[in-house]
Amino acid sequence: MIEALARAGGEATLQALPEQTGLPQKDVGQALRWLKQKGWAEQQGQVLVLRDAGRAALTAPAAADEALLAALAALGSASEDELCGRALDVAGARRLLEGRSGLIEERERTTRLVALAAAGRALLAQGLAPRRALNQLNAELLRTGGWREVELRPYDVTVAGPALHPGKSHPLVRIFEQTRRVFLELGFDEIDSGYVESGFWDFDALFSPQDHPARDMQDTFYVAAPARCALPDEALVDTVARTHEDGGDTGSLGWRYRWDRELARRPVLRTHTTAATIRALADDPRAPRKVFCVGPVFRRETVDYKHLPVFHQVDGIVVDEQGSFATLLGILQAFYRKMGFERFQFRPGFFPYTEPSVEVFVWLESKQDWVEMGGAGIFRPEVTEPLGCHAPVLAWGLGLERLAMFRYGIASIGELYRARLAWLEEAALCR
Amino acid sequence: MPVIGIPLELLRQRVATPLAPQQLVEQLQQLGCDVEGYATLRRFGCRRCDNILEITETEHPPVLCDRCGADFRALPALLAELGTTQVIRMELLAVRPDMFEPGGLARVLRHYLGESEEPARYTLAPPRLRVRVDPSVARPESHRPFIACAVVRGITLDDDLIKIVMKLQENLHWALGRDRKHASIGVYDLATLSGTRFVYRTVGPEELRFVPLGYDLTQPASQLTPRAILAEHPKGRAYAWLLEGRARYPLLCDAAGQVLSLPPIINSEATRVTRATRNFFIDVTGTDERLINRALNILVTSLGELGGAALTLEQVTIDYEGRGVVTPDLTPQRVGLDVAAAARRIGVELDAFTLARLLRRMGHAVAPAGGSALLAGAGELMVEVPAYRNDILHPVDLIEDAAIAYGYHNIVPRLAMTMTAGSEQPLERRAAQARQALQGLGYLEVLTLLLSSEAQQYEALRLPVDAERVVIANPISHEQTIVRTSLLPGLLETFAANTDHPLPQRIFEVGKVSRCDAGRETGARELRRVAAACCGPKADYAELRSSCEALLRELGWQLVTEPDEAPCFIAGRGARAIARRGDQRQVVGLIGELHPEVLERWKLTQPAAVFELELELEGLV
Repeated sequence: MIEALARAGGEATLQALPEQTGLPQKDVGQALRWLKQKGWAEQQGQVLVLRDAGRAALTAPAAADEALLAALAALGSASEDELCGRALDVAGARRLLEGRSGLIEERERTTRLVALAAAGRALLAQGLAPRRALNQLNAELLRTGGWREVELRPYDVTVAGPALHPGKSHPLVRIFEQTRRVFLELGFDEIDSGYVESGFWDFDALFSPQDHPARDMQDTFYVAAPARCALPDEALVDTVARTHEDGGDTGSLGWRYRWDRELARRPVLRTHTTAATIRALADDPRAPRKVFCVGPVFRRETVDYKHLPVFHQVDGIVVDEQGSFATLLGILQAFYRKMGFERFQFRPGFFPYTEPSVEVFVWLESKQDWVEMGGAGIFRPEVTEPLGCHAPVLAWGLGLERLAMFRYGIASIGELYRARLAWLEEAALCR
Repeated sequence: MPVIGIPLELLRQRVATPLAPQQLVEQLQQLGCDVEGYATLRRFGCRRCDNILEITETEHPPVLCDRCGADFRALPALLAELGTTQVIRMELLAVRPDMFEPGGLARVLRHYLGESEEPARYTLAPPRLRVRVDPSVARPESHRPFIACAVVRGITLDDDLIKIVMKLQENLHWALGRDRKHASIGVYDLATLSGTRFVYRTVGPEELRFVPLGYDLTQPASQLTPRAILAEHPKGRAYAWLLEGRARYPLLCDAAGQVLSLPPIINSEATRVTRATRNFFIDVTGTDERLINRALNILVTSLGELGGAALTLEQVTIDYEGRGVVTPDLTPQRVGLDVAAAARRIGVELDAFTLARLLRRMGHAVAPAGGSALLAGAGELMVEVPAYRNDILHPVDLIEDAAIAYGYHNIVPRLAMTMTAGSEQPLERRAAQARQALQGLGYLEVLTLLLSSEAQQYEALRLPVDAERVVIANPISHEQTIVRTSLLPGLLETFAANTDHPLPQRIFEVGKVSRCDAGRETGARELRRVAAACCGPKADYAELRSSCEALLRELGWQLVTEPDEAPCFIAGRGARAIARRGDQRQVVGLIGELHPEVLERWKLTQPAAVFELELELEGLV
């Protein structure tokens, strides 16, 4: 620029500068600011005038900044020591270049020098050949035997990797499976029945009177579609009806009301898995017989931390000439022992279809209290005799969600169903 | 179950054996009571109607009288604080209404603890009053054909005991009456009744007027017809359903034609029991003669226990057309009990003497004690069941009583020795194999709700609602109106609930869905299914197809897929899954990438692919 100004006689209009200097417009602006800052030229209106300092600079040796830029342009990059070695005034240049962004870039680099110690030198003296170091062993190295020539770098084996979780069973399903295993081990046959059940099998066959509160619309889900169930054979229906009305041939007073077959045909969502066991008993009432059923049951409960409209039960019956209330307690105790409980309490319970009836409590160490687990009893003659069964029938219906809640420390039953995947991953198989 | 608080003081007055609080709880538990624990109640009296109101220590004092409706905020002077009382709280044992109040509970404890070997006995004075039953009450037009009555004289009941009697009446309605349907009880001040010949008859809805309980006797507007009472009175509205469709209503009147009550709805105000009442007239009406007699027996004998020797229990003659009965009838129910059968059923060694002792501890008489006369027949005891017990339908009920007296804690549990082989359901084995295969593929098992809705099961999958679904007649919420027809919505809901969980998420469920099926006895059946799903940036058809193929391979089948345009999938990315083995081919389900509209519907912001298969098809198992 100052050369161009000198050629033009010491001054030039701003408009003419690009043409006279051969610089693009944006560089002209940059150069103007630089000239003014160094005091080599001054702007008078639209005219740029070369000053004496500018004329002197034309012949003076390159300033520190220009020298540095020239050196870096040649070298690409260089360390400060290297530049100082070329007699460049690095500190001065840095001062001049300060605030002019984009011209040079400085990076700090640390250099560490490692010297071979005496032991290393001694080892080298024995003729150690340096080997290639690798992270990953591969098929090529194994095939060629090349692995012998390389070193596999050691890992820091104390560092944790990302968490992994196996695909696994749901905690409540583990309880179902364990329950099934217990009863299979005890020699029980597994049975099943439908979710939709007739009032007949859910209630009437179990001697539950048709106005029993459990049959209220308040407590039981009635089904609109299908609209009606079929009843079993007429002789059985008739016997059950008479047993309700006046005890029939069972020696009972009965419930003394007019039994309504239409109520027996109304479909419900089964309220207990006893519907499955009573069907099994009707199919084959001969002793000895041991059957069980694990499955969901439906109650019209308001949802809270203890209740859901659907929960699971294990129901079982033992048809055995030698069966008694004492052996019923024995089976209940065997089951809960195998499920991991040690202390039991049996208290009187009251159900329409068993006599005597019992409620099972287990001691819960974490709560320091007895917790009710389920009900059991011996089927009343009003239940068994209409089915042609004359041996004692021991029966029970035990809730399973509670077992899972205690085992996995869950406060609310709903968590078992709307499960957080994180919780499922954490629920260890060993618990 | 309703919970009742039995005042400890009243119990202690009636039971001689000293029992520490924990001992009392244990004894009651061994009798089958569900004891909640002890509580201190604060007591308030309503100065207008002498009602007693009790609250727990954490509750706020009452603002309204639950009997007369007095507003204590407006008229604080009507509320009197009466101090505190200690109660033991327990659930009502529905089968034992004779244990609902302190008198009856003490009667049970005295026997159980061995304080008394004799059954409770009550002296009944001969009838002075008669009730004529008009045959019209037995006709379908009103149908409440039976009535049982009693008179109780010499009452010096304090407010507490009146409260207990009122509560007992309410609880008997609940436990025996099925909310007044089968039995409803009325208690009246005998001094307000005229003559000795009362009438139980029917009345037309507009035939007469009387002032129902709780209405002001001095106001002409209080005189209401039966129809108006059903429409206006709070109790009338609450119980009108019991008379629905009846052309005439039951009515109980005294000799002068004064209305005692409109059973089972309401008594008249004019015959109301007050603090000054010395003699009660009691009636129980209903549909089952044994039941109303038991209800009356329980009420009368409980009053006898509470009121002590000063009371006179007096019978009433009931004149039905063609027969007369006298109530209350406290004749025990005689039941023969086979000693060996009882011992066998309980599973303990019992002889006749031991069994008799156990039954006496439950309040029964086994007559006569000692010697061979104990036995009614060969190896049989003749047991006399007190007339206040309503739960002895069959000799097995006495066996339970004997077992309770023996003590469940004294019965040694043992296993039945009969050997059986045991077997599992084939389908359960198949389900276990499917679960094992999917777990091995890295899928996490979930359990989702069985009850669902049309919106979730159909609309949210872009599927048309079909007629095969099992519909609940009385759902609790609009989210649970049907039994699920697919496992997929449960899986999608699980994804939706876990959007904060790392991706990809792989889950599965093995479970049942329900369908209507006219060919079945119940009109429906369940299908066992398995469904799996993956959600994440790379979830796609290929992965789920491979997983499905692996699963079927483990179950012994090959997978063949054919394009399927199920609307829940992206067009061209859904397939029918066909299981093949040799020549057998069976469509078993669907595989596909979910349509973005389905993902949006579940608020999922990542792609998801799914499959759902039947586990239960013919030939598959």
